[in-house]
Amino acid sequence: MKELKAVLANWEAVIGLEVHTELTTLQTKMFCSCKIEYGAAPNTHVCPVCLGMPGALPQPNKAAIQSIVLAGLATNCQIQRRSMFYRKNYFYPDMSKNFQTTQGPVAFCMYGGIDLEVTGAAACERDQRQGTRPLASGDGYVTPIGIQRIHMEEDAGKMVHVGGESGRITGADYSLLDYNRCGTPLIELVTKPDLRTPEEARLFLQELRQIFLALRISDCSMEQGSLRCDGNISLRRRGSEQLGAKTELKNMNSFKNLHDGLAYEICRQAKVLESGERVLQETRHWEPSARRTVSMRIKETADDYRLFPEPDLAPYDLSDEFVASVRAMLPELPAARRTRYLSDYELPAADARLLAADNDLAAFFDSALLAASANTDGDLSASGLGGGKGGQAKSVRLVTLAKQLANLLLNDTQAYLNVHNFKLVDTSLTPEHLVQLAALVADGELSSKQGKEVFAQTIKEGTSPRDTVNHLGIKQLSDTDALQAVVNDVLARFPDKVQQYRAGKTGLLGFFVGQAMQATTGQANPQLLNEMFMQTLAE
Amino acid sequence: MNFTEYAALRVADIRAGLLKGDFTAHELAQAAGDAYQVMDGPLHAFLQPTPGLAQARAEALDQRIAGQSCDAANRRQKGSGTLAPTGQARFTDTVSTGNAFGAHTNHSLLPNNADLRLAGVPIAFKDNMNQLGTRTTCASRMLENYESTYTATCVDRALAAGALPLGKLNMDEFAFGSSTESSAFGTTQNPWDLSRVPGGSSGGSAAAVASGITTVALGSDTGGSIRQPAAFCGVVGFKPTYGVVSRYGVVAFGSSLDQVGAFGRSVGCVAAATDAICGRDVRDCTSQDSAANFEAAALAGVEQGIKGMKIGVVREYLSLSGLEAEVIRALEDAIGHLECLGAHIQEVELPNARAALSAYYVIGPCEAFSNLSRFDSVRYGYRQCGANNLNEQCERSRAAGFGPETIRRVMLGSYLLSSGVYHTYYYPAQQVRTLITQDYQRAFASVDALLTPVSPRTAFSFGEITDPTQMYLSDVFTIPINIAGNGGLSLPVGLGSDSGLPVAVQLIGPQFQDENILRVAAALEARYDIERLAPLYQRLLEAKGEDAYRVVNKRQNANERQRVDEKGMQSNNNERCCPAGQQHLAANNPDPENERGRAKDS
Repeated sequence: MKELKAVLANWEAVIGLEVHTELTTLQTKMFCSCKIEYGAAPNTHVCPVCLGMPGALPQPNKAAIQSIVLAGLATNCQIQRRSMFYRKNYFYPDMSKNFQTTQGPVAFCMYGGIDLEVTGAAACERDQRQGTRPLASGDGYVTPIGIQRIHMEEDAGKMVHVGGESGRITGADYSLLDYNRCGTPLIELVTKPDLRTPEEARLFLQELRQIFLALRISDCSMEQGSLRCDGNISLRRRGSEQLGAKTELKNMNSFKNLHDGLAYEICRQAKVLESGERVLQETRHWEPSARRTVSMRIKETADDYRLFPEPDLAPYDLSDEFVASVRAMLPELPAARRTRYLSDYELPAADARLLAADNDLAAFFDSALLAASANTDGDLSASGLGGGKGGQAKSVRLVTLAKQLANLLLNDTQAYLNVHNFKLVDTSLTPEHLVQLAALVADGELSSKQGKEVFAQTIKEGTSPRDTVNHLGIKQLSDTDALQAVVNDVLARFPDKVQQYRAGKTGLLGFFVGQAMQATTGQANPQLLNEMFMQTLAE
Repeated sequence: MNFTEYAALRVADIRAGLLKGDFTAHELAQAAGDAYQVMDGPLHAFLQPTPGLAQARAEALDQRIAGQSCDAANRRQKGSGTLAPTGQARFTDTVSTGNAFGAHTNHSLLPNNADLRLAGVPIAFKDNMNQLGTRTTCASRMLENYESTYTATCVDRALAAGALPLGKLNMDEFAFGSSTESSAFGTTQNPWDLSRVPGGSSGGSAAAVASGITTVALGSDTGGSIRQPAAFCGVVGFKPTYGVVSRYGVVAFGSSLDQVGAFGRSVGCVAAATDAICGRDVRDCTSQDSAANFEAAALAGVEQGIKGMKIGVVREYLSLSGLEAEVIRALEDAIGHLECLGAHIQEVELPNARAALSAYYVIGPCEAFSNLSRFDSVRYGYRQCGANNLNEQCERSRAAGFGPETIRRVMLGSYLLSSGVYHTYYYPAQQVRTLITQDYQRAFASVDALLTPVSPRTAFSFGEITDPTQMYLSDVFTIPINIAGNGGLSLPVGLGSDSGLPVAVQLIGPQFQDENILRVAAALEARYDIERLAPLYQRLLEAKGEDAYRVVNKRQNANERQRVDEKGMQSNNNERCCPAGQQHLAANNPDPENERGRAKDS
């Protein structure tokens, strides 16, 4: 099979995504008051409504409507004031009523879109003449991705097929049903066919996940299935405007699988087309282990779901006040956060992206800098910290501190959390302590190695970094008079090396610094030593 | 308490009697149980009697009343005065344990206490209403053994109001029909004439009230299923405006058409029962807040009259073919009475009402198709074993578990909703619905209520109507208001001059102004001196008990068989979609003919 890059040289892939997101942060289901809980004992969160018992009627969850309106506003959709629920009729045992309550032609959110930033090596996969604009940094492009609609629906239960080889229904001895998930509020977002490469699809889904996480409407776990994505994909010759026959791709339950599944499918379709055959309109299943897609069912005509307005639920008339109240709840979104980190703190682009992507880290980062600005002994109060609303001169110290903080959060903290499988809130770390530590390192009072030592103590015990420094007697030696003696001593001990250095073997500087560090049992400020050796040797 | 005394009691009498200590709830429950024992054999109104539940409720109520009594010393002993027509032991055993209901009773407890407005009132529920402790079968094989897992709001409210639940009542399968002949568990007989149908789909409810077994009954009305059987059985049946009574827990037929309502032998009884069950229910988001007091409205009709109220009549209705002369005469009599009462009679037009039938036969089956999808044999309900896979099990179980009329409706709905067809039928049907609703709005701009027939004719005999079109036409006066959503009441106005069977008129009100209906109905009711109790009890006594029941049952079965033979089309239908089902029925159903009830509407 041909390489993706080679295929994309001749073919343009047209990709649209359907993204299902369970509103897991809600307390209760879409149409009843059963609890939403992942991993609970089977069929313990069920009632007559979500079990579809005779005579039961749906009672819509207002918080779910709030969530979908949030999602719509965050993705620049038009919020439809009047929309309705519909019944999508099909027989499947995981759907207790044998119809899914979903929305019809008009969804709560219509016609939105986001600007997607594409950077890195994969940026070359797209023909960038098409409606994109280059990134300011020059290493990628921005392209608008349209969103057709976001509609509200309910999730189905889970089936476990026992016996048989595949774990799928075909060939199973029997199947078990768990209706805990049945009736969980689900929003389905449908993009326009604006995506052109698997990497764009992957980045789009990541961006969307970050937005939904920032909105706190879902835990967006692809592993647990609260974020699921199907792809629709077709190929056309570069330059052609006509859409080809598409396939629908399922089972792409991670970002990598989304990328790899689409990449495979693009190559497969190209091969089919290049051999003069036609692509069948069908649903295909991505098999990550075999790294291929297999046909699930041919789908030449659309399924007949006998959609009709749900008579048990009155049409919705969202008031302007309601929409305004939801708009007022919108938090800062990842894209805005990213821009702020870049412009206000001059964080490296990668750091800004990573920090902005994580709600907890970003909030921690922001409140740490806020704490620093509130601290009267700092010189940050005049620097526009906390608001960070451009225009004001950025203080050098602020930028240094922010960089140090980002480091501590993205490396040390993240590593600690990963090792212990903790969340940030599970630790004793406070924003005040972390910014104190960042200041100690930034001011050269601690070496970065010492910083790590103090960090370990701080996050574990919840002690303040200053106390830890005093308690453990860790202190970076920055007294130039004391250090000069050490420098002189080292140079005196290795006259031959001094000669070699002066003859041009400047790499020996590291050797001298190392000796000096040893002599001070690691407490000297290596940066300072570096300078001092250079200066002394130059004399 | 003998049957005559028991059957004479209205809801208001029961409250007052309990209050005064004339009788206990226990005695009422026993009298109801006795009436059931005597009459339900030939009548077959009940699918599941619940005498135990009624007794338990009655005893709790008696204790509650006793507990509220201020002066236990003033208790007076009261004998039950039973007359046991069948000589059953438990009748004579009911020597009262004493009514702990003293002279100094806390009088605020009952009539003014909205919580207990149905205290001691015998009630029975159509078998599509969930009630914990009972099976809810919808008169279908599919749910033959289905035990309710919760209680419907209307049932819950009636019980909370102190009513005594006598049992679950027969109906057309899933309420598809107008004669109760499509019940999978046998027909219900009209207590006025056992050779005639009680109407449907709430035929069991109407028959149970008309015979005197129960004081009130609840039913559901999708296209006339309360009003038409009420008319056929000579009792009052009231379908309030859509949304007045919660549908939660009532197995759905047509969700946008279904409405729960009450049967009684007087307007006051029906008003009291509706007061007890109406109002907003968070579990049914189509239900509405109701500030109405129907009992007060009915009382106002009697005490203050209806002078000056404007009543509309629909001229074009009188020229409909199939409308019998005695029904027209009854309507004209009613108009005369209304004029005597000082009401102004005014002609109104409902130009689109005739399209209601067509719209109904699109919307109803579509919603029914979807509502009945959940009966798939997976979680509950009838399951045919031995299938090779899930689809086959579902298909076989549905084919065998549903009767032919249900299968017809489901197939019709499935077809009407399919892509390409949807825009030809369902969509225009909804547009017609809007037009009809506007018709009523226009009419009610100038009148306070409408007076129309309920049914073009009186109760027909089993097997009498074989032409489905004629059968559909019999709902022509009731269906339009389900389409529009308004409330309607069927008021008996005596026996027809030709048939000698009960005839009724229908009163229709503006949406959510059902008080108008009850006010007019109560005023009009007072003008008629007619018997609401069917003569079944007396006749059975005269016919000497058991033997009479057997005769009735035999005749009934003969009727069934004859009818099935005439329905070749239904058999074909059945064979085509469920050969396995037929085999099953033949093997397990002792009376398979009953499975093939007629094609009719509710």
